[in-house]
Order: sequence, then structure tokens, then C-alpha cells
Amino acid sequence: MNPAAHDWFDWSPIGARASGAWPGGARLAVAFVVAVEYYEMQPPAQAAWPASLPGGFGRGPYPDFRTWSHREYGNRIGVFRVMDALDRHGMRATAAVDAYCARERSVVVDECRRRNWEIAAHGEAVTRLLSSRLGEEDERSQIRAALQAVREAAGGDVAGWLGPEQGESARTPALLAEAGIRYVLDWPNDELPYPMRTPGGPLVSLPMAIDLDDVFAHWHRKLSMARWRQSIADAAERLLADGESRPRALVLCLHPWLVGQPWRISYLEEVLADLRRREGVWFATAGEIAARCGAGDQRSAG
Amino acid sequence: MLQYRYRAGGPPTRQTRRHGDADQAWTDYVPAIDRPVLRWPDNARVALWICPNILSYEYMAPADPWLDMWTRMPQPDVLAYGRQDYGNRVGFWRMLEVLDAHNVRCTACVNVEALERHPEICKAAVARDWRYLGHGISNSRFIYGLSEAEERAYYEDMRRRLHALTGVTLQGMGGPGPQSATESTPDVLAALGFRYHADWFHDDQPFPLRVREGRLISLPYALEINDAPFLGAAFDADEFAEAARRQFDRLWVEGADSARVMCLSLHPALIGQPQRVRYLDEMLAYMLSRPGVWQATGDEIADHYYASHFEAVQRWLDARRATT
Repeated sequence: MNPAAHDWFDWSPIGARASGAWPGGARLAVAFVVAVEYYEMQPPAQAAWPASLPGGFGRGPYPDFRTWSHREYGNRIGVFRVMDALDRHGMRATAAVDAYCARERSVVVDECRRRNWEIAAHGEAVTRLLSSRLGEEDERSQIRAALQAVREAAGGDVAGWLGPEQGESARTPALLAEAGIRYVLDWPNDELPYPMRTPGGPLVSLPMAIDLDDVFAHWHRKLSMARWRQSIADAAERLLADGESRPRALVLCLHPWLVGQPWRISYLEEVLADLRRREGVWFATAGEIAARCGAGDQRSAG
Repeated sequence: MLQYRYRAGGPPTRQTRRHGDADQAWTDYVPAIDRPVLRWPDNARVALWICPNILSYEYMAPADPWLDMWTRMPQPDVLAYGRQDYGNRVGFWRMLEVLDAHNVRCTACVNVEALERHPEICKAAVARDWRYLGHGISNSRFIYGLSEAEERAYYEDMRRRLHALTGVTLQGMGGPGPQSATESTPDVLAALGFRYHADWFHDDQPFPLRVREGRLISLPYALEINDAPFLGAAFDADEFAEAARRQFDRLWVEGADSARVMCLSLHPALIGQPQRVRYLDEMLAYMLSRPGVWQATGDEIADHYYASHFEAVQRWLDARRATT
């Protein structure tokens, strides 16, 4: 028995990896994943979410106008501030879009496409966690329904997947590969992409830096924005040094309902300016990084 | 931390609305990049409403099926209760000195029972001609699970009692405690002639809410620029002041194109503490020194919106709905 009790990948310490190669000899690839997600006021009866699902001060009894509207702020206002901030530095992002937003907040997807952002899939809604509570057929049909909606909004291929709240069952990677997904953002266990093998075919895992995720840092840990800004600067500095011998990747997840608040956005602007002034950084989309590590082949959707 | 914890497995609340893909019935999705321009009087960029909370908590709070009032131990919890009582005994008066120094006209977020129990505070508010954002009767009794008729009676009672104390007819409402509500809340408020509902945090501008009869708008209150969540976490008032300054700066810049609302929500039990109040002074000095700031009450902001924007925005929303 594999001591890690799963067989999705061959375990290896980062020092044993082949050296990745980013364009222009960059030492660090940086990507932003912007969560375009919908928080349901009235989720279907079978829907489940973590008790810690952020927003408001936690989910209250129906109708929780407070938490619903705090989250909706992201799709109405915050996401456009995040776009402006990235535009100012000529940076693109990967929008992780859920099926609800693909259908009902299509102007957000249109604005992403107008900027030539990558569109990744992000489940049906943030209130519909994939987990082992789902049966295999239910999970398969949720993944397919989500992908269909996001592919339609994206106008074509969707290579990447971020589970709602990074939720997976013990089957998810296989079902994603089977549905034509080529990289997954759920596993925060590395600083380089690595291959996964699944009964549904190969998949690349592209880890995100969870401790620098805005929700994880600001919401769950209640770090100050100034401390978050400093943490990202510290991380970039160390990763650029580590990248002398083996280039690294820093994938940061941003949630517009939070970081797009009027007072918080100024800190994101400072983070971007700080990253921008550093030498040796390749600003890419998540898909561009994953494609350099084997997730580049477009297969037909299963 | 010390109060308000949602109970796991509370009974379902009344839920008759089902909206499928539209999910909720009260708002239209209006992205920031496509909406009518909003203007305040004298072309102000930011309408600033300042909301000190005047709250009433009970030493022995009744049990609520959905929400645990004092979370630390069996009632009473004199630590948690006492911390709130401090706000009315001490913090309010220290906060008031700073508010007076800046000559601001506040919109007090009130549990009407607090004004009844503390006539000195009521007198101070009336003397300054403040206005009020209704926050129910008590902050330890909530309205989850009320029938529509019960909810209507609750607001009528609150409004009558507030009028008797202050001579002011309540125009705005936010649910008692942690924004408790029912699915009838916007409809009942509109039917009773309330002008605005402050439990919506999805925008920096007012917008019409969809109601069964009458009219109602959402007016952005503060979920983030609010000392309670800030000072309840690992922050102190210097960081709260910095957040308020940045919030103001951003809204002020954006308000040049289309006006914005900024709300500053204050809890005297927190901001009125000796180590904190000077940061309130700094915040107000900063914001009020800028041009293009309309320091207004919630009632004034709502009045202006109804007089100058409501009908045009409603027509715009109706036309948009017809094409989608």
C-alpha cells in the first residue's frame, strides 16, 4: 500500500525534479487565478459546502442577505477592479469560472475574453462542493455540466479545473481527465507542476500557494493586508533565489469579493507593482505554465 | 468570538420562493461597467454616512433556535454582556466627543430598546438632530422565523417607539443582530413605507430592490469598514483607520465618474475605548478635509436618490430585463 494511500502521482522531493525551463531564462513563473464564482442564496437540497465557507460572518439561516451580497460584490464590482489592476501592468490572468457565472454573469466572462485571459472551469457554484459524499455518477454529471457551461461561455477549449473550495472526492482527478481537463489547481503540495496518472488519462497538477491565497490569508487567518503584501514579496524574493538552480512557479488565487473591496484592492496594486519590478519573472497564465509541463495537448472532450 | 454563533442544524426558516437559475428574487445583476451614472448634490464624489451603533443586549437572553447569543458559557456571561454595556456607559460618550469635534450628523444604528433604557443617550442623539437606521428592538432577539404578519407588527412597534422617543419617523432598516431577516423582509419594509434596506453589501451605490408593492432601495452599509469585525480580529484601530482611509481614497477616485456611498460603521464599545478613539479622530479629519464629500444621513442619501435617480434607474432596469 502506498503510504500516502493514493496513486495519483509518483512522489518526489523537489530537489530531484528535472529543471523546468521558463521562457527567457526566467527563474519564476507567476500566474494569477481569479475566482469567478457564485454563492447561492438557495442551493439545491443536496448541495454541500465546508462549514468554513467564507463570506459575511459565515452562513446564516435563509435568507442570508448579508453573506450572499458580500459575495455578489465580487461579480458586480470587485472583479472589474482586479481586471483594471492587472491591465495597468499588462498582466493577464486565468479566470476560474463556475457554471452559474458562465450562464448568469456572462459579462464577466466576456470581459475576461476581451483581455485574452485564460478561462478555466470552477465547478457549478461555490456552494456545490465536490466530495466523497457524491456518488460517482453524480460527480461525473456535475463535472460535465459545469464544463459544458464554461466551454460555451469560453467559446472553446477549457484545459484547467479548480474545484469549488478545492473540493475533490477520491475519484475527481480521474473524472476530470476523462472529461478532457488537462490540469488541476486543487493540490497545494508543490512549487512546480507535476504529472498525475488517472484511469481517465493523464493530468497535470499545478499547485497554488494556498498560504498566500487572499481568502486563506485575509479571511481565515485574518492577516492584515500589509502583512499579506509583505508575505508575497518575501515569497517572490526567496523563489527567485531558489529559481537560480531550478525555476519555480508561484500561482496566486484571488477572490474578487474580497480583494476587490475598495480598501483591499490598493494592496493588490502594490503587490503587482512589487512583482513587476523584479527581474527574472515570467508572467503567464496557469494554462501556459501547465502546458510547459505536459498539459499542452488538446484532447477531445470525453 | 463572545457572541453570535449560528447553531448547527437549526430548523429550516420559512422558504416559499424558488427561483431556479436566478437564485434570488431581490436584486438585478448590474455590473460596475454598465450602469447609469449617479450624481450627488453639488457633484460630490462620495456620500459619507456615519453609523454609530446604539445597542441593547440582555443579561439573560432568550434562547433562539438559529443563533446562540452568548457563546462562551451558560447565561449570564457577564464578561460578554459587560463588554457591550461598557459601550453605552462609557464608550458612547468618548466617541461622541470626537463626533462633535468634527460636527458630523450621524445615522445611529439603533435597537429602539437601547434608547428607551438609556434616556441620556437618546437625549444626546435628539439634541444633535441625528437620524436613525432601525436595527430592531433588541440585539439579543432576532426575527428569523417570523410570519409576515408578525414581522410587520415588529417593525410597526419599533417605528412607533422610536417616533415617541425622537419625533423621527424611521426610514431605513437593517435586521437586528447579525442582519437577521426573513424572505418577506424587503416586501414588508416597502409596504410599510420604509425607504431603504441596509442589509445588502453587493454594491457601492444604492439600487432599487425588487419588492411586491411600493418602492425600496438597498443603501450600502459597512460590512468591512466596520470596527466590529476589524477589532474582533487581530487588528487594532490604527489598522482600521488605514483601511477606512484606503476605502475612502478608492471611492473618492471612482466617484469622479459616478458617485459612491461610503459608510463608516462604529460600535462605541470598541472604538470608544481610550486606546482607540484617537484613530476615529484621524479618520474623520482625513475624510472631511477632502473636497467632494457629502456628509449625509441615510435618510438624506435615500431622499436624493428617490428624487433624482430612482425612476430613471428603475426604467433602465425594466428595459434591461425586457431584453434578457
